[in-house]
Amino acid sequence: MQTHESAVCVIGGGITAAMLAQKLNELRPGTSIIVVEAGRKLFDFAARMPHRQRNLEYGENPWPGDFVADQAAEGIISRTMAVGGSALHWGGVTNRFSEEDLTLRSRYGLADDWPIAWPELERYYCEAERRLGVSGEPSPLPEDRMSSPYPMAAMPLSYNLRVLKAWAVKSGIPFWSTPQAKNTKPYDGRAQCQRCNTCEICPTGARYSPDFTFQRLLAQKAIALHDRTLVRRLVPDARGRIAAAQAVGPDGRPVEYRAGTFVLASGYCWSPHLLLLSATPAYPNGLANRSGLLGRFMTGHAFIGGQIELDAKLYPGMNEQHSLISRQFFRCADDAPFVRHDLRVWESSAGRDPRLKDASGRLLLGDALLADWRARTARGAARVRAYYDIHPSRDSALTLDSARKNRWGDPLPVIRHVADEASRARELATHAHIVSVFERLAKANNGKLLGTSRGTYLDHPSGGCRMGTDAATSVCDSHGRTHDHENLFVVGSPTLPTGGCTNATLTFVALALRSAEAVARTI
Amino acid sequence: MPSRRAALKILGTTAAAAGLPGGAAGQSNEPFDTAERATLESIADVVLPAEIGDTARRDAVRNFVRWIRGYREGADMEHGYGHTRVRATGPSPARRYPAQIAALEKAARARGADTFASLPLDARRSIVEHAIADASIERLPIRPDGGHLATDLMAFYFRSATAANVCYRARIDRDSCRGLPGSEHAPAALASDAQNPESARADA
Repeated sequence: MQTHESAVCVIGGGITAAMLAQKLNELRPGTSIIVVEAGRKLFDFAARMPHRQRNLEYGENPWPGDFVADQAAEGIISRTMAVGGSALHWGGVTNRFSEEDLTLRSRYGLADDWPIAWPELERYYCEAERRLGVSGEPSPLPEDRMSSPYPMAAMPLSYNLRVLKAWAVKSGIPFWSTPQAKNTKPYDGRAQCQRCNTCEICPTGARYSPDFTFQRLLAQKAIALHDRTLVRRLVPDARGRIAAAQAVGPDGRPVEYRAGTFVLASGYCWSPHLLLLSATPAYPNGLANRSGLLGRFMTGHAFIGGQIELDAKLYPGMNEQHSLISRQFFRCADDAPFVRHDLRVWESSAGRDPRLKDASGRLLLGDALLADWRARTARGAARVRAYYDIHPSRDSALTLDSARKNRWGDPLPVIRHVADEASRARELATHAHIVSVFERLAKANNGKLLGTSRGTYLDHPSGGCRMGTDAATSVCDSHGRTHDHENLFVVGSPTLPTGGCTNATLTFVALALRSAEAVARTI
Repeated sequence: MPSRRAALKILGTTAAAAGLPGGAAGQSNEPFDTAERATLESIADVVLPAEIGDTARRDAVRNFVRWIRGYREGADMEHGYGHTRVRATGPSPARRYPAQIAALEKAARARGADTFASLPLDARRSIVEHAIADASIERLPIRPDGGHLATDLMAFYFRSATAANVCYRARIDRDSCRGLPGSEHAPAALASDAQNPESARADA
């Protein structure tokens, strides 16, 4: 069997792995780091533009080959499995959570507090924003103060967003430019945004993606990257330390990794999955599972969206990926019913697309279709959405599905999200509140709420290896070090006790950067 | 790490490629013979706006043919976010066009014409309307799917960034990499569009 030895073995090749490896290399130059990723490298930058074009014209995958056919989970929200992970496709939105997210129990008597204080996490947010290259406009709310400014000026508001902002603030709710990991000037060796409108594959590299970091680390010979290599088991020794990671390489042959420290950076699904798969007679319920909470408290945020028609001439397509944000509702008064959510506004063409038949069912061809289309664009439309706070129950779980196995015979994961009782009890009130906010926005400028829809999944999923100070009620500490195995860390999304009410990638990265310091101390 | 120069080079290369005429991708995979192409162009006269003019309609047909030629069966499609699944593109829509074209020609002959293309516009429109009804098509597909050649051509054109510009009478250029400067202003009007639709052809 082929064996590789290193000081640190990072399992997973997504955004948290990239950030952790980069920082670890800075903190401990010369340390041997191997990153093992089940998916493949997609480093052909020149192919991005033709792939973008195929995607626009034919709906083809803009990242061809970015998945592993038989490595699928029920309940997962993205099939991406490649070097770079989901952040190959991401929109680059880099909102911070708020202090309330970390103090839900002590402040509201809900869910659990995080084992980390806000001022400390805030420092790592600043670092994450610097490393990713975030362009943003500071929140005007004093509670959102930042100890360091964004490294770049905000993405300029397009004409559409300027019109929408003027409309939205009439409601009395402040809005500003959503922060994003997109360059508004050349930054960190990458180009300025060219407003290509296809951030899921950024053809200019203006939007951060982890493949850039990995390529740089490889060029510096700071890491070894083993792609198309699936880790199937972690092997503990008699003292409970992780001795090895057993994998299969690109050729299907077994590979073993031996390291002083193992870092599991495989996201909310595949991290707990690997720990469950690694059960042994000494650890019959999986590794790092003394608490019985491995794969439990799977979380994320729910969402409600809506479309609003308003009195404004808009031109959909100017910069559909950019939006306005308000953090007005991140806070909830202690004496009010609990509800927390973000609020976003985008340009929209909803209800304004060309159609084959009019409302009466008359077939429209040629000039008639164009006239009908034009008539429906006389008024503009906005898309609005709120991610809102729901909290997981213990039964919100990732488990192994013995009926579904990959080619190696390993059971695949199944995820079932279950909100806790308090979240379920306030669901109707939460929905009513958010719809009332949408209606308030609509009324601000003679608008009309055309409809709303609830999300049918939890976005930015997290949890499964939640952090805490008590080994009886958590899987790892605030640095991601598992309570049961001193040389095993879990980083990023799996460690979150609760999923917040806004995009979570920046939080995953900030936590991983903090973990990197703890990992460095083990070397 | 892509430099600004590298990024601009890629943008320029693709812009040039996007302007290639239909035949540039190779002639060995021609989806329509001469007669079928004539039928397609006469369908375009019915289903695409007269407002954009003959040149723009011919351009739309040429780009549609290029699109058909470039279609890849079994290619990985976007696997989506939220409810994700791996899927591949289906059979080329072009597989269904010969029978559809034959049906249009048959309907034309039933009206005493030699070819569909030789019928007056109203008669062609009537035949196309019946064909769409017979195919039970209620909505424009997201992109051509073989439901019917007429609605596929319509979907190809009306869902394009070019058609959006025509609809809004503005250079939104949705699918182009346009840079950030100037985006705070409303997009420029299509040249002379409001005064003279004919002059808008070159922009459409």
